[in-house]
Amino acid sequence: MDAFARGATLALFLKMSLPAVIDALRKLAGREAVLDRPEDLMLYEYDAGIRKSTPGVVVFPQNAHQVSEIMRVATSARIPVVARGAGTGLSGGAISQEGGIVVAFSRMNRILEVDVENQRAVVQPGVVNLQLSEHVSHLGLYFAPDPSSQKACTIGGNVAENSGGPHTLMHGVTVNHVTGVEVVMPNGDMVQFGGKAAESGGYDMTGFFVGSEGTVGIATAITVKLLRKPELTATLLGIFESIDDAARTVSAITAAGITPAALEMLDGWTLRTIEAFCHAGYPLDAGAVLLIELEGLREAVEEQAVAVNEVCLQQKAREVRRSKSEEERALLWKGRKLAFAALGRVSPSYYTQDGVVPRSQIPGVLQHIGEVAKKHDLVIGNIFHAGDGNLHPLILFDMRNAEQFQHVMAASRDILQYCIDVGGSITGEHGVGMEKRDLMPLLFTEEDLDVMMSLRDAFNGHEILNPQKLLPTPRMCREITGPSQNAVLAQEGL
Amino acid sequence: MSTISAGTRYGRELRAICGADHVMEDPSELHRGVILGIAPGVAVAPASADEIAAVLRFANEHGLSVVPAGGFTQQQVGNLPSRIDVLLYTSRLTDVDHYDPGDLTVGIGAGCTVAQLSAMVGANGLLFAGDAALPERSTVGGLLATAMPGPLRHGYGGLRDYCIGIRFVTGDGRKAKGGGRVVKNVAGYDLMKLLIGSQGTLAIITGASFKLFPASRQTRTFAAEFGTPAEAIDFRNRVLRSPLSPICLELVSPGARALLPDGKESASWSIYVRAAGSDAVLARYRAELGAAISHEMEGQSEWDVWRALADFSHIVPDRYPRGLLFSLAVPLSEIQPVLDHLATAGESNGLALAIIGRVGVGHLLAGLWPMRGAEVTLVNFINAASELRNLLPKDASMAVLHCPPEARHHVAAWGPTPTNLDSMRAVKTALDPKDVLNRGRFLF
Repeated sequence: MDAFARGATLALFLKMSLPAVIDALRKLAGREAVLDRPEDLMLYEYDAGIRKSTPGVVVFPQNAHQVSEIMRVATSARIPVVARGAGTGLSGGAISQEGGIVVAFSRMNRILEVDVENQRAVVQPGVVNLQLSEHVSHLGLYFAPDPSSQKACTIGGNVAENSGGPHTLMHGVTVNHVTGVEVVMPNGDMVQFGGKAAESGGYDMTGFFVGSEGTVGIATAITVKLLRKPELTATLLGIFESIDDAARTVSAITAAGITPAALEMLDGWTLRTIEAFCHAGYPLDAGAVLLIELEGLREAVEEQAVAVNEVCLQQKAREVRRSKSEEERALLWKGRKLAFAALGRVSPSYYTQDGVVPRSQIPGVLQHIGEVAKKHDLVIGNIFHAGDGNLHPLILFDMRNAEQFQHVMAASRDILQYCIDVGGSITGEHGVGMEKRDLMPLLFTEEDLDVMMSLRDAFNGHEILNPQKLLPTPRMCREITGPSQNAVLAQEGL
Repeated sequence: MSTISAGTRYGRELRAICGADHVMEDPSELHRGVILGIAPGVAVAPASADEIAAVLRFANEHGLSVVPAGGFTQQQVGNLPSRIDVLLYTSRLTDVDHYDPGDLTVGIGAGCTVAQLSAMVGANGLLFAGDAALPERSTVGGLLATAMPGPLRHGYGGLRDYCIGIRFVTGDGRKAKGGGRVVKNVAGYDLMKLLIGSQGTLAIITGASFKLFPASRQTRTFAAEFGTPAEAIDFRNRVLRSPLSPICLELVSPGARALLPDGKESASWSIYVRAAGSDAVLARYRAELGAAISHEMEGQSEWDVWRALADFSHIVPDRYPRGLLFSLAVPLSEIQPVLDHLATAGESNGLALAIIGRVGVGHLLAGLWPMRGAEVTLVNFINAASELRNLLPKDASMAVLHCPPEARHHVAAWGPTPTNLDSMRAVKTALDPKDVLNRGRFLF
């Protein structure tokens, strides 16, 4: 038994209190690597969503061994732990339990290896998504998942939430780009799942781990695929008078046998808000625009660009523009990626949903969102990853108006219920987190959830890692409907 | 004959669950369910996931071993079953759960054959990218459980990339699902990943949903031939670093060439580059690949070659029952050394060699059988497998898909994997605590 294991065992006997845990963390990670003053902890009580909860301590490990020691201390003391990257998540996945331990990965931010021949990189979880692509850009390679927060969000966080982004339409979400992961389990064991090979023998633990929202283990090194940059990228802007025409165009494009790399939709209200913020070049009087990106072999892209142009015009597009330079392309994307920031300027708060519908249901869900907005007297902007049916209705509100907030929650639930009713899902890329866990019974049966719980318990039986995320408590499983969302919010003081 | 008595003992209960017409106890009927020489005690063909759950709960109560079965195309892969009390056919689970061609998704019962699924979506100009061996027989459930990649793996990804939802009954009899019907979905644990390639040891898959692709309007295969495997791998690297994005990129060794429909005896190592696209796109392939192209294939002859490459895992054991067949998952940089190790293992044991594989993603199939005139004994087969396994590079895994009957007890079907064994065991215990499913056949 090493010195640390002895310490952990001792802690179990002593029923270590939080101050004692903080001391233990300082010993193992260094004094400067532990925060426990209230003014410091405040910075770690929220993510980019709407929930808040203050941790008891934040620790910044420098290596997997320290993460393992942290887990042993936490498990001995039965204090919950949450791993945190940049805190850009939208579902509360990286928010601690009140008084829990936040393991923040900002000091584990090294790219450990770039293996050009295998088109792989091995990175620590704190590496920022865009930094990896920039780091390998001179090799003609990039990391495909591109969440809107890619300038800040970390690959560890991408792995936990199985994050997406506009280009997942062609390239898939994070799980499609991870082949191996080194994990610290709740008991402190360090294990490896998969490696550099595209497939590994045995069960696909890597695939199971990605998207497990920090409830199975903590990744300490991640092996990701690097893709070769395409020869040509064409970015088209389809401008439509009505949102219905734009919505119909989405399925018309796929029906024409074209798989764009990205196919985004912004409604008129949203694009005007963005224009006022950053002048991306969107038309101010349009009902909606489609941002369509094609990539690949020059000949194939040129043919597809002609075909997309035709489809858009057949579906009553007013105009289709094609960006003439990398600068123009970057500007169009800048507008899309800054959409959330732009909304921050016009509303004190907004709530983003992440529902998914089958592509053919996009016109219907848009109409429904319009009705919901009217019913609850709310402004709802629409940004869609339209190509894969993933919607981000942005509901504006003022947190100080408690009654309005109840409407926001009801409207959200109503929209997600519609998604489920037409065969969709409650989350396409943001994760369930704490935000949607009580909606899981709308999508999954009690037995479905029971199977998932038995898998979580196989690794995290004491719920030391990220408790009360992803899965509802068994009590909630049985409460299929009712005001549980609001009840939970009330409990959390929102 | 404990397995037979299990059948007669439990026939009544199983008939009550599945109906008398769907429980087979007659030895002549059970004969076609023999796996590696072991006959099932009883065979059942449940009509629904509920019936499967009832069978599995019954098996849990009585400590029975249940073996799920689709089209019996991969059933000979794996370790010897320790017992087959109940053979469970999924053949009656063929309902279409959802299919809207406009969504490019389909949900289908596990018992549907891959050929049926491909024909259904093909009628709408769509492609199901799981190019299974023997598609007329292999089922969707079997394809998922065994996850053997075909040539299309290069261009369309693997099942883990385009299976978007799965329905199943766990070993302990819980009817559940993961994922859904939409192409993007992160709600709940990704149970598709756990069940794909789990060799039927965690749950019986009852249905699944898939992302579909627009079918190519025209394809062409460009063949390039080289004197050595090293030159072939260099050419692969050239293709991978070019702007081209072929739908298949396949290595064909001299020995494998002779097993294909265009197969003359040949001393060359070939790379087949299969492209999809317009005339302009195909012209670009010609320009990029240049003088390396020895010939082009199109139409029926092209189709026949790709059919044979997808069926390769059956062609070898059918032709050479007294032979070995390996499936290897290897990082791209390690393919060349693995090809060398295969050649050495073959030569030193008097075995002829045929290799094909998706060399752009790192999957190889290698067949080895006694060279004409060579004295090959049991020891040679055992040595060939163990020599190769000992030389496997980091992160590679190898499965023995076929070996001569006399070597079965000496050659493990599955070798080491980079993935932590205790974690895999924890998953098995969570879903099939009494080890009801495919007992003894996979990892534990």
